[in-house]
Amino acid sequence: MKEKHTFIDIIWRIILYLWGITILFPLVWVLYEALKTNQEFFKDIWKLPETLQWVNFKNAWTEYNFGGSLLNTLYYVGGSMVIGLFFTTINAYALTRLQFRGRKLIWGLIMMSLFLPGINALVPQYVLMRDLHLTNSLTGLILLSSLGESVFYLLLLSGFMKSIPKELEESAMIDGASLFKIFFKIIVPLATPGIVTVAIFKFIGFYNNFLGPFIYLSDPSKYTIAVQMYEANKLMQYSADWVTLFAGVMIAMVPSVIIFILFQRSIIEGATLGGIKN
Amino acid sequence: MAVPKVAKNTRLPFQKTWTQKASTQKRIFLLLAVTPPFLGYLLFSLYPNILSVYYALLNWNGISEPVFVGFDNFVKMLHDQFVWRALYHNFLLLVAVVPLTIIISLFLAYLITYMPFRENAFLKVLFFFPNVLSTVVIALLWAFIYDGNYGLLNSLLRMFGINLDTFWLGQESTALWALVLPFVWGGVGLYVIIFSNAMLSIPKSLYESAILDGAGHMTLLFKITIPLLRPIIYVGVLFVSLGTIKGFETVLILTNGGPAGSTDVLGLYMFNLAFGETVHNYGYASAVGMLLFIILTGTKLIMDKFFPNSGVEY
Repeated sequence: MKEKHTFIDIIWRIILYLWGITILFPLVWVLYEALKTNQEFFKDIWKLPETLQWVNFKNAWTEYNFGGSLLNTLYYVGGSMVIGLFFTTINAYALTRLQFRGRKLIWGLIMMSLFLPGINALVPQYVLMRDLHLTNSLTGLILLSSLGESVFYLLLLSGFMKSIPKELEESAMIDGASLFKIFFKIIVPLATPGIVTVAIFKFIGFYNNFLGPFIYLSDPSKYTIAVQMYEANKLMQYSADWVTLFAGVMIAMVPSVIIFILFQRSIIEGATLGGIKN
Repeated sequence: MAVPKVAKNTRLPFQKTWTQKASTQKRIFLLLAVTPPFLGYLLFSLYPNILSVYYALLNWNGISEPVFVGFDNFVKMLHDQFVWRALYHNFLLLVAVVPLTIIISLFLAYLITYMPFRENAFLKVLFFFPNVLSTVVIALLWAFIYDGNYGLLNSLLRMFGINLDTFWLGQESTALWALVLPFVWGGVGLYVIIFSNAMLSIPKSLYESAILDGAGHMTLLFKITIPLLRPIIYVGVLFVSLGTIKGFETVLILTNGGPAGSTDVLGLYMFNLAFGETVHNYGYASAVGMLLFIILTGTKLIMDKFFPNSGVEY
């Protein structure tokens, strides 16, 4: 489209910037408040810090037990990702490329979950986990998260698998390659772009998961970062230690920021493939 | 894929043919590839969903023996003013969040797609950023914005000479409305991307001829872009609606239904019935869960029926 820069264009541009500012400004504000002392903050919330109080980050790290909760988060996110990713990928391959009895039934049952909102299953799921003695356990949470639901990812990956030419598999099979070999040597390398997208979304989803860890983990030493920040906010209402909480929020954002900066293209492309966030 | 059938009668004794080896090996592969995730899905997903129907018919605090009470929980629900209040709050949130999210996204997507500004690619990425943030971080950011004494919002208003000491999340009159913005703020970016991708697929020639006829941006947006985008807009409306009805985490973190129940939503009411700090009632909580299930599925079916194009499964 041919465009002249008119007065009205400036207004449109301002609108775009305004939305950008609503996103950036609170983040930047929290960052610089996190570098002030509480006194400075109470006195004037706009003033920039006189000396940068990096000690707030140190305090947040120890006060909110970031060391421990980071380990818990790594274990939970890592475990769920590895197990979930492996099974989603191999399952997608078996269900799209192999013929066997009951395949249609399995697909049908899995597709059913597209119509299940899931929220009504929270209570029975909890009772089930309790009966299996999997509550208050990060490993239990890993099992629930990695095996529970992954239809969107399964569909995404099976789409990828369908586009891989069958000849490759067939010639490998004639050469005597086992299905495992075919899967790991042919399918996985060719489906890597899809697997990476799924991995990124699983990471974001598990890292951001609040409700699961919040329901299932009762022992504070097992808290993930998300639950830890929720508790930190509750504590802050009594301690009025704002700057430490600001620093904590900033620390909790770091993994999201890193993943977003590294993979923004895949994230933005992948996001349009479905309402993955929910 | 054609796997040759094992020819039983031509097999030599003690010698396995390669096809047979292949079929044993395939069985092992399938056992490893399909069984664990499928059993996991049955156990952790499907079974609890089915069980929730049964739980809704129980009177059970989770510890003592459950008592089967039939439809009592549903009758109780009809007379429970908290359920109706929560539903009303869900409705108000829906009415505010869905149009705001969709309209802002459409508008921003249009500007980003059709304005020749160099920074648009960067803005698109920036707009998406809140979508990767966790609910807790988003909620806490907004808690900082809404604080009465030191919050960003009141401080900004003070700069314009408006002195308010409103604790936006702490007052019954404002709390529910204050929850709208975190929902919108966290959701718009995704729909900007979705709508902007859809806009890119609209042929340019359509716009060019309209521009020759002297159409301005508003005419283009309302006469060409929005009508052509209708199916994808319906998908957006559906997703945002379902997300708003379901998403009680933000509410849980920011207000936990307070003050005085003025922000209680149905999902949160269910959550607190089951996991809250006071009395636990798994049966009644499940009945409320069933009501949510019906509302969510109903919304989806109604949308699919009235706007057949929106029935896209991603």
